[in-house]
Order: sequence, then C-alpha cells, then structure tokens
Amino acid sequence: MSVYAPDLDTRPRPSSGRGRRSSPWTWRWGDRLVLLCAWAAGLGLCLIAAAIVLYMGYRGIEYLRPGLLFARPAISTSQSHTGGILDPLIGTLLLTAIGIALAFPLAVASAIWIAEYGRPSWLARIVESSIEIVAGTPDIVLALFGVAIFQLGILAPLSFRAEGGGVYGRSFIAAGAMMSLIALPPLFVATRDGLRAVPTHMREAAFALGKTRIATIRRVLLPSVRSNIATGVTLGVSRIIGDTAIVVLLLGKTLHIETQGSVPAINLLRGTGSTLTSYVYDNSPAGEGAAPQKAYAAAFVLLLFVLALNLLVDKIGSGSLTSSV
Amino acid sequence: MKWLRKPWPDHRAERTLGAVSLLVGVVVLGMIAFVGVRAWPIFAHNGLSWLGSGGSLQTQLANMQATSVNPPAAAFHLRAWPLVYGTLLSTGFAVVLGVAIAVLSSIFIVELAPARLRRVAIPVIRLLASVPSVIYGLIGVLVFVPFVGNHLITASQKASVQSTVELTGAGLGVVVVILTVMITPIMIALICEALLSTPRSWREGAVALGLNPLRAVLAVTLRAIRPAIVAAAVLATARALGEAVMISMASGGSFFTPSLSHGVPIFLFEPFRTLASAIIDFNEGIGAPALSATLYAFAALLLFSAFVLSIAGYLIKLPLRKYQVRA
Amino acid sequence: MNQHRRLRLRLAIAVAAVGVLGAAAAPTIALAAPTISISGATASYPLVSLLAQKYVKLKRGTVKFKIAQGGAQIGINDVASSRVSIGDVSRDPLPTDPKGLVFYPIAKYGICVVTNKSNTLGSLTPSQLVSIFTGKTRNWSQVPGASASGTIDLISRTSVAGVLTSFQTLLLEGKKVSSLASEQSSEGLLRQAVESDPSSIGFLSNYQAALGSLNSVSYNGVACNRSTVASGSYAGIARFYEVTRGPAQSFVASFISWITKSAAAHKIIESQWVPITG
Repeated sequence: MSVYAPDLDTRPRPSSGRGRRSSPWTWRWGDRLVLLCAWAAGLGLCLIAAAIVLYMGYRGIEYLRPGLLFARPAISTSQSHTGGILDPLIGTLLLTAIGIALAFPLAVASAIWIAEYGRPSWLARIVESSIEIVAGTPDIVLALFGVAIFQLGILAPLSFRAEGGGVYGRSFIAAGAMMSLIALPPLFVATRDGLRAVPTHMREAAFALGKTRIATIRRVLLPSVRSNIATGVTLGVSRIIGDTAIVVLLLGKTLHIETQGSVPAINLLRGTGSTLTSYVYDNSPAGEGAAPQKAYAAAFVLLLFVLALNLLVDKIGSGSLTSSV
Repeated sequence: MKWLRKPWPDHRAERTLGAVSLLVGVVVLGMIAFVGVRAWPIFAHNGLSWLGSGGSLQTQLANMQATSVNPPAAAFHLRAWPLVYGTLLSTGFAVVLGVAIAVLSSIFIVELAPARLRRVAIPVIRLLASVPSVIYGLIGVLVFVPFVGNHLITASQKASVQSTVELTGAGLGVVVVILTVMITPIMIALICEALLSTPRSWREGAVALGLNPLRAVLAVTLRAIRPAIVAAAVLATARALGEAVMISMASGGSFFTPSLSHGVPIFLFEPFRTLASAIIDFNEGIGAPALSATLYAFAALLLFSAFVLSIAGYLIKLPLRKYQVRA
Repeated sequence: MNQHRRLRLRLAIAVAAVGVLGAAAAPTIALAAPTISISGATASYPLVSLLAQKYVKLKRGTVKFKIAQGGAQIGINDVASSRVSIGDVSRDPLPTDPKGLVFYPIAKYGICVVTNKSNTLGSLTPSQLVSIFTGKTRNWSQVPGASASGTIDLISRTSVAGVLTSFQTLLLEGKKVSSLASEQSSEGLLRQAVESDPSSIGFLSNYQAALGSLNSVSYNGVACNRSTVASGSYAGIARFYEVTRGPAQSFVASFISWITKSAAAHKIIESQWVPITG
C-alpha cells in the first residue's frame, strides 16, 4: 500500500477553447455545493498545514535560542535553569541510526527475496502479510512487545539488572530494535516496488551475458533502485523521528544520556536517555508539564527535521523521474 | 574464505535471503505470542466480558495497583467498557469526518485545482501525514483545549453536568478534530491514486451525455473507486485506533463515558479515554502483575483489530483488480 | 591472489577487534559503575533528583542514577518486584503494602490546598474542606470567602499518588476524594490545571504550591508553608520515604545514609522541605 502522494500529470492540458468548459453558474445547486465543499476541503487542509507550521515556528522562534541546542538539560527547581535540549537531540539521532541500521538489511533482503525469488509462494505470502501486519500495528503495541521481550533474563546484557535481580529492560538498543520494526515497512515497500518497476529486459540482458540471478541483483538491479531505497530510508527515518510511544516505554526517560557499563560503544547502546519526542511529551501538560516553553522549542526542532526530510523525499523522488532506467 | 569472495550460487543466495525474510515472520509470530501470553490472565479470569461494563473501572485499576506483587485472583476483575466505548467513539467520528473531507479534497486536487495550487497541495498533504503525533498533541493541549475550555464551554453548561463530570475543554470534540486532521492525508493519497487510475474515457462518456464535469466525476469515477475509498477508510481506522500519544494529551484522561443524553455540545466537551491512551497513561504501572496483564490485554485487542482491518483491507481491494485500478 | 590476502587480512583484523573488545568487556562488566534505579512519587522527585545530582558530584561519577516517577504506589510496586533499587514514597506505609519492604524517612513536607490566583479564598475549616472534596458542595457561592463563581472544579491525583493518600488521611479525615474530580498524574500537572482554571481547587506539596502563582488556602487558620511544617503547627504534614526491598545493601545503603546523615544533604532538604530530626 503506497502512502506517498501520487505523481500527478501537470503538463498543460490541451485547451478546449473558451466557452467549452461548462461554467459552474449553469450547474444545479447540489453540484455547486459540492464544488464549494471540495474547494473548502482542499484549501482548508493547506491552511491547516500552514497554520501548524507557522504556529510552531512562531512559538519555536519565541523560545528557541541557539544555545539551547548545545546545552545539556539540567534538573532544577526553577524553570529558567532547566538547560537545553542537547541530550534529547543526540538521543533522537542515535535512535534513528540504530533503527535504520537494524531495519535496512532486513527490509532490503526481504524485498529482494520477494521481488526476485519468492518461492514457495505460501512463504512469500506469509512474509508479505507479516510486513503488512507490522505496518498496521499501532506503535504502542510494538512498545509493549518490546517491554515483554527485553525484560527476559536472556536479554539482560542489553540493559542492566537492578538490585534484586529484576531486568530493567529499557535502553537504546531496546528502543532501537522496536524502531527498526517501525521503519521496516516503508523501506520494504519502496525497495520492492522499485525492483518490480525495473523492466525485465535489463534482467534478461544480464542473464544473456551469463550472470547468475544473485549477481544481477547485486550488480544491476540494486544500483538502479538506489533512489527508491533512499526514499524508503527517508520515509523510515521520518517515522522513527516522530514516534513517541516506543521511546516513552523503552528508553528509560532519563534526562541525560546515561551510559551503562564501561565498554566504549556498547555502554551507550545499553544506556538510557531521551529523545526530542519524549522530551516534548514530558514537558507538556501531559507529562510533567514542567516547561511548556522548552516543549515548544524541542517541538519546533522536531518539525524542522520533519520538513527537511520531506524536502529530501521530494528531491530524491524528482531525481528518479528524470533519470531513465 | 574462498566461499565468501566468490559469487554465491543462486540456491545459497535464495536460501539466505529467504531465511532473513522469514525472520520478519518470526518476529510477528513472537509479538502475537508474547502479547497473548502476557494478556492471558485477564482473559482467563474474565472471559470476554472484560470488554463489557460493570463497576467502576477507576477502582478496578486502582485495586490492581494497590495489590502490587502478589495479587489475589479477585484483583484481575476488569470491565473496560468505558475504554472500548471511547475508542469506538473517537475512531468512528474521525473516520466518518475524514472520509468526507478526504474524498472532497481528492476531487479538489485531481480535478479542480489549477496546476500551481496542485503542485503546492501535494507536498502539503505529505507534510500533514508526516507531522509527529506529539506535535499534534502539543498544539491540541496548549491551544485547542484552553480555547474550548475558556471560550466555548459556558458556565451554565458546566453547572448542568456538575454532579456527574467536570468539563475542562479537553475531551471528545478536540480529539476528534485533531484525529481527523491526522488521518485524512493518508486517505487522500490512496483516493487520489485511485481517481487517477480510472480510465478517462468513462468520464468523457459521461460529459458527452450532458453531465457537467464535476457531476461526471461524482457519478462515474467516485462510484468506480468505492472499494478504494473503503480501503482508505480501513487504513485510516487502523491508524486512528492505534493513536495513543495525541489522545493521551488532549482527551482529559478520564474513565467517563460521554453520553448523548447530555445534549450535543456538552457531549463533545466530555473527557474520555481510549484503549491506546490508557496503555500509555498507565505504562509506569507495569510492575504490578494484574495491571501489566490488563495493559497487555488492551494491546492484544488492538493487535487483533489491526489484524482484522488488514484482512478486511485486502478483501476489499480484491474487486479493484477487476477494474485494474491501482490502489 | 592479492584480493584473497586482503580479504583474509580484513577478516582477521575484524575478528581480533571483536575478541579484544570481548576480552576487555568481560571483567569490566563486573567492575562497571553501579547504577541506582529509583522510581515513585512525583512529589519527592525534585528533592531526590537534587540529592542524586549532588551525590554523583561528591562520588565523582562512580555511581549512576536512573530516576523515574509514576507515583508512590508505582515506586512500591517496582521495588517489590525488584525492577528498581529504591522506591520514592510520599505516604506512610499501609497495611496493604507488600511484606518485606523497609521504609527510610528522609524528609517532611506539607500538603497545601490551593486555588487559582484569582480566587482569594483565605481559609477553610476541616468540615468545609471535606464537603468540597467529597463533592457535597458543588458551587463556589456556597463557600464563604471565595471570590470565584460557578461550579467548583475539583482537581485531584490518580490513585497511585502518595500525596493523595496522605491528603485523604490527614486533611479529609480519612474520606475519599469524589470521583468527579479530574485526576492528574503528577504534581506538575495538578499545578498547571489549577493555574489555568479560575474555578478550580486542588492540593499540592508545599514545594509545588510555592512554585507556581497560586493561592494557598490556610487550613483551620494555619497557613501552609515550609515554616509551619517545620514548627509542626500545620495539620497536613507527611513524610517522604526511600523504600527498599529488605534492608538496603552496599551502595544503596551508602546513598540512603548519606541523605539522612550528611550536612550537604540536609542543606538541600532544608531549602524547600524539612529534614527528619531524631
């Protein structure tokens, strides 16, 4: 199921001459009402989007100072000393990196297998249905699943054990693993559709030259769907960045990024922290309500990320339209 | 090392890729298994009647928290109808509103908008679809809720229900409006694609018979893409069901069941809670076994609904293949 | 042949790196800085966070903290199931609490009744307070001294809150807050709700009540602030506890005894709360 907007045909239509197109003034009242409603709906949505961006921008500029981006959040009894948003920012980037790193091989391998092999067909159906189920699962259910898994004793090395033996179960790797499930469907769909769109004559040419199937995939097909994969990765990234439920349940919500243990990179993965989304949630009237101004600032940064990612998707998308396969 | 460097034979590559793909299936199976096992105590104790009503949900959940680590069997008593009702209300209203707005907007984008406006509208719709739900929730709770609470709810309305519920502005109306804005872009994408895939000749035939262009679209194309609209509605329902963060922020977080007997404006101002928002509201209580089982039971219900909707979506899109409409 | 050698070299380096990391990891995992995980009352969260911050500085980073909130009952449940090492609790132990928990009192605080700043309600008698919070009195016109009008909006806490239990025991003569009240899940949220609603009334710890722009209501003529809590003249005095499963061990015990005994900790507690003396 493709959820990106369609590529519409915007070439100038052949003009049918003046007076040929029927004027709305000659229509029935019911049709005119529908016309009005359609215009209202379309313009209304555009206005709502503009309002959201402008309002968040207004509030964000009001409260976001560049210093906030580089200051660490602090615990304080007074509002003005609560520091900046550096740790949540790093947390967001780190979590996105882990999520994509885990999702990428899984998604691309599955997409290749479905598009190019796909035997036996009952297995292909199972795999495709599984990915659709994951796509349709609410993120809060995935988060609860993560809580259930990462509190098993076997996975204790992935977080830490509290005094008394209970597994804490919340860490970057725990949240990252569930985030990879979130990013999996867009990446899978993009890669699979891209592979399906490659015309068969390219494969046949490669086979005629004596290459095996896996070699054509590796040398011919994958390079040609690079932009699809890039689009998929960008969509996955924007889904990960915007997700709050998994972070709230699985990241431990410590204000600073706390490492766990002393092995250099692994202690970061086992550690806890916060992301922009959980920071906004915690500082809004739904969390602890401590600092709505900081919530606005962090939300503005988040929105900027999302806008940038959207622009990126547009650019990659238009790039693939011009390059011919 | 030679086997790593040489190009792999096809059968090995196929089996490796197949194994990796199967991993996803294993993960999904694991998810169903874990959630089911953790939710089992609630089903064992209550059967399916935990979806019904009876007693105060507030007290039941408080009891679960209070009985802490060794809950007696009675602690698993649960009647979660207020949450099911809240979920049905919010999702139902949002989807109905959303379908209407999505269809109208799609017609606008595909048929009515001038080319420049269309070029603006498409990225705008994509942006709306990708705004994180926490930002929607923030705007909801910091802008809409005070506005409704201070300007739309009159003192007499508050006084008229003062013995049953407190109206603060956070409630059904705000949630439905924001939820509609969240799910409409998803539907627009699908419906636009379907509109574009219907053959031009059908519409041109209608115009040739004397219908005006808009009526031609309504009478012919819209009827043809009915399965696509339903498929879009199913997708939007799945999204609305699982929305936890925004609803947790803007719904007023109460176990009250909004009732139409209070009259329409008050009905929309009443606070409520959904299954998903209850999970996120009570997530810290997962240390108490009874409450943990309850949260997993909610998750199991959501998972089951997502599953059913997925199958429904697939079945609905089958007739589309007849018309070769891509959706 | 060159390619093979290069590949083998790269693989060998990778294996060696993993091996070194693993060998280094094994003993160091055992020597890792101990982490004290805490969860529980939102009322004591500011205090415990400040104490933890100071303790980490004193110990020069050889101890780490993970502090979550959730409410006093959550703290009790988490520590009883060993999910955390310490539970923050803002109420006295109840007979329904799990067996085997040890309560260490660390500070005293007062529970203040608060209204919106625009409502200049001065004082409430115990019976007035009871009838307001149990839902018998529903309109501000029936409350002498209140300048607000209209329906009384009761703002309370969710059932897991220790402050709620203490409030009911100490100031409501054991009665329960009416189910009409809107339930907030933290002190900060309750304060925000009262700040934004002119016809609301709620209850907060003295620290939160002093934080916002709220009107603090006297109980039986006694104002609610840090000094009346310290002198004992205010009726609604409750305690913060650190709760462990069984007597506290090793680094958890050092932290708790530092809180109760050291001068630095006392200074932090004295800023907004009242240390336990004797």
